[in-house]
Amino acid sequence: MADRLLFSKTGRAKYISHLDLMRTFQRAFARAKIQIKHTEGFNPHPFVSIALPLSVGYSSQCEILEFGLLGDVPAEEVPERLTAAMPEGIIIHKCYPAERKLKELAYVNYIINFEYPEGRPHECEGAIHELLGRDSLIVKKKSNKSKKGYTEVDLIPLVKSWTAECQSDCMTLDMILAAQNPGLNPELIHGAFCEAYPNYAPDFVSFHRRDVLDADGKIFR
Amino acid sequence: MNRTLEHILPKVQKPARYTGGEYNAVVKDSRSVTTRFALCFPDTYEIGMSNLGCHILYGVMNERDDVWCERCYAPWGDMEEEMRREGLLLYGLESGDPICDFDIIGFSLGYEMAYTNVLNMLDLAGLPLRSKDRRDLAPLVIAGGTCCYNAEPIAPFVDFCVLGEGEEVTLEYIDLYQKAKDECWTKDEFLLEVAKIPGIYVPSLYDVTYKKDGTIEAITPTSGAPAKVTKRLIQDMDKSYFPVKTVIPSTEIVHDRVMLELFRGCIRGCRFCQAGYVYRPVRSRSPELLAQYGKAACEDSGYQEMTLSSLSSTDYPCLLELCDNLLDYCAPRDIGLSLPSLRADTFSMSLMERLQRVRRGGLTFAPEAGTQRLRDAINKNLQEEDLLQSCRTAFSGGWNSVKLYFMLGLPTETDEDVLGIADLARKVYFAWKECSSNKARGVRITVSTSWFVPKPHTAFQWEPQIPVEEYQRRVNLLRDALKRDKSITYNWHDPQTSYLEAIFSRGDRRLADVLEWAWEHGSKMDAWSEYFDYQRWMDALDACGLDGDFYAHRPREKDEVFPWAISDVGVSRDFLWHERELCYESTTTPDCRSKCSACGANKLLTGGRHCG
Repeated sequence: MADRLLFSKTGRAKYISHLDLMRTFQRAFARAKIQIKHTEGFNPHPFVSIALPLSVGYSSQCEILEFGLLGDVPAEEVPERLTAAMPEGIIIHKCYPAERKLKELAYVNYIINFEYPEGRPHECEGAIHELLGRDSLIVKKKSNKSKKGYTEVDLIPLVKSWTAECQSDCMTLDMILAAQNPGLNPELIHGAFCEAYPNYAPDFVSFHRRDVLDADGKIFR
Repeated sequence: MNRTLEHILPKVQKPARYTGGEYNAVVKDSRSVTTRFALCFPDTYEIGMSNLGCHILYGVMNERDDVWCERCYAPWGDMEEEMRREGLLLYGLESGDPICDFDIIGFSLGYEMAYTNVLNMLDLAGLPLRSKDRRDLAPLVIAGGTCCYNAEPIAPFVDFCVLGEGEEVTLEYIDLYQKAKDECWTKDEFLLEVAKIPGIYVPSLYDVTYKKDGTIEAITPTSGAPAKVTKRLIQDMDKSYFPVKTVIPSTEIVHDRVMLELFRGCIRGCRFCQAGYVYRPVRSRSPELLAQYGKAACEDSGYQEMTLSSLSSTDYPCLLELCDNLLDYCAPRDIGLSLPSLRADTFSMSLMERLQRVRRGGLTFAPEAGTQRLRDAINKNLQEEDLLQSCRTAFSGGWNSVKLYFMLGLPTETDEDVLGIADLARKVYFAWKECSSNKARGVRITVSTSWFVPKPHTAFQWEPQIPVEEYQRRVNLLRDALKRDKSITYNWHDPQTSYLEAIFSRGDRRLADVLEWAWEHGSKMDAWSEYFDYQRWMDALDACGLDGDFYAHRPREKDEVFPWAISDVGVSRDFLWHERELCYESTTTPDCRSKCSACGANKLLTGGRHCG
């Protein structure tokens, strides 16, 4: 089976897109002189695959990349060597052989920060409780496949659990959301909140992936 | 990262262009340096990061502990809008600090249509546009690059221009700046001194007077400024800086690969080509050193592609030796090696077959003119049979698409020459029919024509650009001639941009007002069709009382004082005039290696060196 990297993507690196990140990894392996498996076929290139693509602008401390380690670089050396070959903001924490299938990755723990630099409206907290307490919350999601240009998704079954914590200038949501098939992009929650409660829409929102979990809610690696 | 920036970035397209933090980006402690330099490229990140010259200067400056050079590019419209709304000043990518607080702001100018971006970037930086309105020594606003061989249209905006290659002179003026800063010189005191450094042109030290007919009467140096400013050049390419470590973008750019610069200058002497004259004399790097640099750059960057760069790679004396050496390294590592700027001769084709084992793209040739007569007149020493033989080799090797580039409106061009383009394209088609290994796949032959723009410092600097109606007529003539050829696609360049290029490339300082008017009324990113507004430029010329045709379409007298009279590229004016006369006789000039034509550029070489 393949090898995996656990890495974080924060700071300036948040803005590197998924495709650009894959290219960055391919080059970084070459820079670090870590040989990895290539794809076969007409135009061979180093094979890398990222488990759950991260939206541009989101930060994460739990990204997983699959690849195949070749040559004689020991896995323990990979994190340090590869981090040194990376742009600012990408840090490799661990390199290990994959033991579980990626499809066992079921949930993502997100930290979502609603920022109100001028002061948070008191009613925010009640509003989010009302919104996520509904039986169903159907939103339109852009889709290239559908003829209408969007599909309808019910967010409620995709939210496993959540808590909200409020401070004078922000509201922080700690949420466990479905990861895949289908997954839930936390932007949809932000969007639904702003639509339902336009007066409490934050000036700025940030999204951070804290961890990836399996179906039992245990940490996935 | 700056909080305002962090709030803006999620709203704009391709935010990775605006963050910095790339691999090899140089970060220093701003308190530990004495000179902060903003290396600005007046176009998008994707274009600017592809510029080899900027990588070189970035490396040369950052090698010095007392200098911190940062990069700065023109933001796209969505980003600009957010920056203006939030009051975020144009910043250096490495530190995020506003460039108005830097010591020197240097623009790389390679294309006339980027001029409005210079003004827009100065404005985004919060600085007055005109040199005279920036009273303090810092920040100095300077420019370099090919456009500086006639910098007049932007002269009032910059404090000084650098003519020629920047590796050495950049450090010389930085040294002088540091002295000026230590000793508290005024800006005027500094400009008088910096004008004494060879290769530096301070426009404000020259008075320009005009005749009644609008041509220049005289350009008079004041305050002891030199009557001629001779371009700078690197004497020995083997001793010059090579950028092994370059900033590796984290997002896709135009030229996303290792660029291995083989040599500077060109031996060919095509009479329309500004690069062919202004980069003289030819100076090559040794193949051993190049192979070493190429490998080191691949190792450092992790790039999977390397390209050999020069004005005409086939003319590199040790090309085969170098390619074999590089292939030994690249092939086992799946690194692609590409060779643009090849001549359409058989030698090049066999070379290409060896290099391009995979990724068989299209072939591109630039015969420039349709008949041998006109190719001789412009000194494009390409024989029709060579081109066809190259195509035959390519087609039998499996290629099935060829692009052919031409110019319309070259001096002495007749309808016969225009129709010759169609004939040549058809001959290429027949070559395909004759040689193709797989006729079922069909062939794509693309003919593209542009409208010839006469450039300063060329044999055609005296020539008028043909009128737009005439250009359009020739386009129609060629289009009709190619109408029935299903396998040949004809594209022609829109004439509006070429007309403006013709105005600005040989323009004088009065055009600065036109630039400022156009910018004030919304012009920027003029190289991009999304932004280019022709009518606004016509309005700008009207508003400033200037006639575009005067610059673009007027034949010049032999002894007219040109706006670029102060700049000396080494090639003598008499030589250029003689070349122009040879054009009208359809007589060719041999290339520099076959026979020296005594253009004068070899005088720039010191210590008994010769061209090569």
